[in-house]
Amino acid sequence: MTGHDFVSTLIVLQLAAPAASLVVIGLPALFDRNLSETATRRVVGGGFGVGFMAGLCMFAVLASRRFAPEIVHAGTWFRVGHHEATIHLVADALSVPYVCFSSGLCWLINAFAGKYMHREPGFTRFFVLLAVFGTGMNLMVLADSIDVLFAGWECVGISSALLIGFFLERTNAIRAALRGYVTYRICDVGLLAASVVVHRAVGTGDFDRLFGPEWPHAPCLVSSTTASIVSLLIVFAAMGKTAQVPFSGWLPRAMEGPTPSSAIFYGALSIHAGAYVLLRCGPLLDASPVASTCLILIGAASAAHASVVGRVQTDLKSMLAYASMTQASLILVEIGLGWRVIPLVHVVGHAILRSLQILRSPSALHDRHELEAAIGGHPQLGGWSPLAWLPSGAREAAYRIALERGYEEMAVGRFVVGPLTRLLERAAEAESRWVAWLAGERKGTRM
Amino acid sequence: MIAFLTSHSPADWILVAAATAVATPAVAAAVALARVPERGLRRIAVAATGVAVAASLAVTVLWSTTDGTTIARGPRLGGGSLVHVDGLTAVLMPYASLIALAVVLVRPRRSIDPRSIARKLIGCSATLAMFLTAHPAALVIMWVVTALPTWHSTRATPGGRAAARVFAIAMASAAATVALGTALLIADPPWERSGGPLGAAGGWLVAIAVMIRKGIVPFHSWYPAIFAGAPMSTALAATMPQVAAYTAVRLLVGHADGVGTELVVLSNFAIVTAVYGAALAVVQRDLRGFIGFLAMSQSALTLAGLAGSLPMELTGALCVWISSGLALTGIGLVTWAIESRAGAISLEIPQGRFWDAPALASFFLLFGLATIGVPGTLSFVADDLIVSGALDERLGGGLMIVAATVLAAIAVIRAWFEVFGGPTAADSPRHEILPRERAALSALVLILFGFGLWPAPLVNSLDRAAEKLLRPIDSPPSLEKASSP
Repeated sequence: MTGHDFVSTLIVLQLAAPAASLVVIGLPALFDRNLSETATRRVVGGGFGVGFMAGLCMFAVLASRRFAPEIVHAGTWFRVGHHEATIHLVADALSVPYVCFSSGLCWLINAFAGKYMHREPGFTRFFVLLAVFGTGMNLMVLADSIDVLFAGWECVGISSALLIGFFLERTNAIRAALRGYVTYRICDVGLLAASVVVHRAVGTGDFDRLFGPEWPHAPCLVSSTTASIVSLLIVFAAMGKTAQVPFSGWLPRAMEGPTPSSAIFYGALSIHAGAYVLLRCGPLLDASPVASTCLILIGAASAAHASVVGRVQTDLKSMLAYASMTQASLILVEIGLGWRVIPLVHVVGHAILRSLQILRSPSALHDRHELEAAIGGHPQLGGWSPLAWLPSGAREAAYRIALERGYEEMAVGRFVVGPLTRLLERAAEAESRWVAWLAGERKGTRM
Repeated sequence: MIAFLTSHSPADWILVAAATAVATPAVAAAVALARVPERGLRRIAVAATGVAVAASLAVTVLWSTTDGTTIARGPRLGGGSLVHVDGLTAVLMPYASLIALAVVLVRPRRSIDPRSIARKLIGCSATLAMFLTAHPAALVIMWVVTALPTWHSTRATPGGRAAARVFAIAMASAAATVALGTALLIADPPWERSGGPLGAAGGWLVAIAVMIRKGIVPFHSWYPAIFAGAPMSTALAATMPQVAAYTAVRLLVGHADGVGTELVVLSNFAIVTAVYGAALAVVQRDLRGFIGFLAMSQSALTLAGLAGSLPMELTGALCVWISSGLALTGIGLVTWAIESRAGAISLEIPQGRFWDAPALASFFLLFGLATIGVPGTLSFVADDLIVSGALDERLGGGLMIVAATVLAAIAVIRAWFEVFGGPTAADSPRHEILPRERAALSALVLILFGFGLWPAPLVNSLDRAAEKLLRPIDSPPSLEKASSP
């Protein structure tokens, strides 16, 4: 077996293992034959564990070759005329460390959730969605074409929405899930449109036609106009998953989901999915000062917004959500500045810290009491805030703005969602009246 | 025995299987109308549609063993023969019969009576017969025949007269238009030579008729009306087989002049309809209204691909035809099953049905995901093909299709959360799924996800069919060979 074949086997294993676990627990559930809790946890954990081990092997192989990229042709899905849906995957200095990190984190969260979700109605549903997420995440990270990346991106989006609304009996949870999904889906237009532009520009979705394979120093292979358009569309797509202004309203509400999924999605992996895609398409950003500037401005504005708003939140999970948003926004600024390795390190460090904080959040009071018992009193509040420099009137205004979450949601609701919804409702009403008239019904009646 | 089998060509066996698929439901309808005990009606219907599925699958399997030459029998007029079997027939026959089988399996017990079962079976038989012909006059006749059971069934439903009237107005206009248009096409056939003014006028009239029958804006009003006022089986039977799309394929595709202007205009209106239907599905206040507008949007996507001069776009359209048809049938059947237990479903406030009917909730979600193009489903493949195909020719059209898929996804997820989310009443009864319902819904799910993960066999056969359809009918074999890849 050659080195390429070995890497190919490992990379396919990365995808196949969590996907197989999904089938093993999902198919019996479809026929009302749920596996036991232990079996469910072990099967899904096994999938992630195998993926993690394969990732480590891949890391070792690549490290021995100074991270020379390996492009793997995993098969042709279907072919129509000149249009080929091929599954191109890549093992390089970006994807392999990231996939090790994401598989490992999924594995840990799986172990935590096995206890946390014990006897929870919907136990199997949770693990099915976790397996969908893990498979989608690996697909997205290992993708070497925008089409494969989009497939993984979609799996992450749908599993995220369904996990936010996991507690279906809570109206707030389903409203939050719908809000999150609508935001994702609107921003997905960016990635879809980027795919469209890429196909028109180079005739295929493969990244090796857009930029060279040597991450992070790959040259851009398309014109600066194409690079700018694609980059701007990808920035738009990333704004949804990374909860950037004005698409940030869904993130604090997303904490309605179970704690383990909140930790892995909004503390660790899903919140950084946009950053990962931007890192992957870094050479396009390098060739587009316009897109890089936009990214810096959006990231900086979102970081300031999240930092200010997060300070006045009255519940722990909302504070953590805004803290996540602040760091994710700063990561986008770093990417916009043209850095590549620092944002990657920032992603990993932030994800580990934040997921740990979210996992511990249900025990926050207990932890606090333990701390106070250990030090024999209340810990001193400290820290420095730039807001302390403001005059008192300005501080009060900032406080009010922060309490209203920067009026961002009000503005989006009043100027975008409200008018659009009213327009569609009026169209639906007009449809009903027209059908009633056709049906010969009396005035005022509706079908 | 072996001598008997080998003395007949595959074409003969294909025709025998096709005739069995068409005749069995018709015979069963006659039996159902005779004095059969009520509990035996479902068995008869399931047996008949089951035989139709088996015979249709036999057509598909036998067709795949041939070299792809069209089987034509009977009188020939204009562009087609009375009995016409090609790649499209081989795909559509199992599709239509499978929908019929799923509908009779899920049909609630209280909706079973001899007349309704007979109407369902006659409708199935007529649809399969229509998919077996390319003869213009026969297409017009079957166009009318396939509409009659829907109208009759809607009219016989309590509170369904208004919907029946709207349907009748639309179908009468469509039938008159298609009859006149087809007559003009026959007088000045555009399949064999460049069309004259008569043929062009005929093409436009057929396109308008297709717009009416397919519920394309501005002739779409009957679509949500039939979902609101007719039994779910009737609404599904009226819309899912997409006989108008079939007529468009047979009468408007493959002209000697290439893609006609009327087909391009039809496609543009279809794209607008796809966006409009999906947008209105987002704000519907009841589940039936949501399904009506979503079905309108999805069925319009099929037409959007028919104007393509590339096989890829037509293949995408045929793929959308199958995927959206099966997925929406699934959503409709789950809705029907829930309604039969709990009455009409509102989308204004969360209904909390998940813990009452968890299995039905799971199926609804799976069919919803299969409708909106989630990776791993057939609709993901279909969307990829149709968007890529449209983009090769029309960037604006491709982007509008993207918008339609995004809006449809929002509508589907909203509907799922509104129906199944929310607090459940403490005394709410648990509605277990019945084995026959699970069998029908599981089969549809397995097809949608199976072909989603391994689409090559279906896509290849649709591609073969699309290539054949795009060639002018009388092109010599050498030309056919030269144009194939």
